Amino acid sequence: MSFDKLLDLAYSYGGLLFNGLLVSFYLTALSYLIGFTLGVLISIARTYGVRFVKAVCQAFVELTRGTPMLVQLFLIYYVLPRVGLALDPLSAAIIAIGLNSAAYQSEYLRASISSISYSQWEAALSIGLTKLQAVREVILPQSIRVAIPALANELIYLFKYSSIAYFITVPELMYVSKFVGSRTFLYVEIYSIIAVIYVAFSIAATEAFKFIEKRTSIPGLRISTRL
Amino acid sequence: MGAVLEVSNLWKFFGKSPVLRGVSFSVGEGEAKVILGPSGAGKSTLLRCINLLIKPDRGSIILDGEEVTAPGVNAARVRSKIGFVFQHFNLFNHLTALENVMLGLIKVKGMNKDDAFKVARESLLSVGISEDLWNKYPAQLSGGQQQRVAIARAIAMSPRLVLFDEPTSALDPELIWEVLGVMEKLSREGMTMIVVTHELGFAMKVADEVVFMDSGAVVERGSPEEVILRPRNERVRRFMERMQYVYSLK
Repeated sequence: MSFDKLLDLAYSYGGLLFNGLLVSFYLTALSYLIGFTLGVLISIARTYGVRFVKAVCQAFVELTRGTPMLVQLFLIYYVLPRVGLALDPLSAAIIAIGLNSAAYQSEYLRASISSISYSQWEAALSIGLTKLQAVREVILPQSIRVAIPALANELIYLFKYSSIAYFITVPELMYVSKFVGSRTFLYVEIYSIIAVIYVAFSIAATEAFKFIEKRTSIPGLRISTRL
Repeated sequence: MGAVLEVSNLWKFFGKSPVLRGVSFSVGEGEAKVILGPSGAGKSTLLRCINLLIKPDRGSIILDGEEVTAPGVNAARVRSKIGFVFQHFNLFNHLTALENVMLGLIKVKGMNKDDAFKVARESLLSVGISEDLWNKYPAQLSGGQQQRVAIARAIAMSPRLVLFDEPTSALDPELIWEVLGVMEKLSREGMTMIVVTHELGFAMKVADEVVFMDSGAVVERGSPEEVILRPRNERVRRFMERMQYVYSLK
């Protein structure tokens, strides 16, 4: 691959690729946030909820983890319109990936909640906190810290898998690369470039989460992973 | 002297086996009651029933004239009036000593931060936790310091009574002394308390009444001299002989 070709590529299609990257970022960020918010709620419901709520949440998690994300994406994009709920490609992708991520994030968080000693729960109730307050003030702040490495993993995973939005024509990084490739026939070059972008993101996200982990670590408290 | 707490005929089953079998007693204003007994006697379960961490199966608990075991009682409100000090301290790991004490004041009592800080400061100073320790996290404190912060957290809420569940069992001997000192001072200042402990010296000095439990029932009660030095019940006598072997220098 000559340098000239690369320059040419950057000149003619740089803007397009950049837009694709932005769409990927947007898609990843929103679906991650949806996944985190729902994940927190589901993990709480599955730990503290009444039996019916637990069962509904468990069914959601099992169904979501048990089917390919692509199937879920197609269901939301192609099947929902038949029952009168038509979504544009980007919204459909955000919702599909967000729901998928919610299932996984809820499991990470549920595991981390169960790693917090029951005595913390007893102590929280003993000073007169309600159960909701005990979860919010005592259990979640500690369990989310425990889940940080898994949540970092999830973000990296989501950024890569946001590329499946390509299948429903969302103009994200993968989609525009394919477009550029078909225009220029520089498939090797273009796919190499986006591979580097995906790796760069994953390294940056890892470092960012390491920083967060360090900043939020509890002084003096040894967690088994750092022994 | 009105009763702060009246426990009547309290039963609790875990599965089919009874852990509490008809326990009754009352605690007067300012009284220090010490509960002694072997492990598995139901002492911890009894304390947890009193502040509704465990729901008793039968019997009633009356706190300040209100039956807290009645259906529909707001457990969080009841617990806010009862302090609880745990064997393993159970400070909130992610909060500093000061924040541990302030949390209940802000979230339960609805105080603003300034007022909560003032109350927390008084409370921490009264248990001998000086200002240089206020911003330390539990894992940075010694066991004795953690337990004193836990006592500060309990008394900051101005509870009607404080329950102590073997507060010194997880501590080194020298730290036991500092925690017992705080508890003795608290009792002298008029705090109503129920203390589950194996510290006979503390019981002798501080208890107004000693209750001995075995297999979920009260088997003997009386003044510390009676129960510890001149027990009538055979089971209690055997227990005290062993305790005296462990603790006396003779």
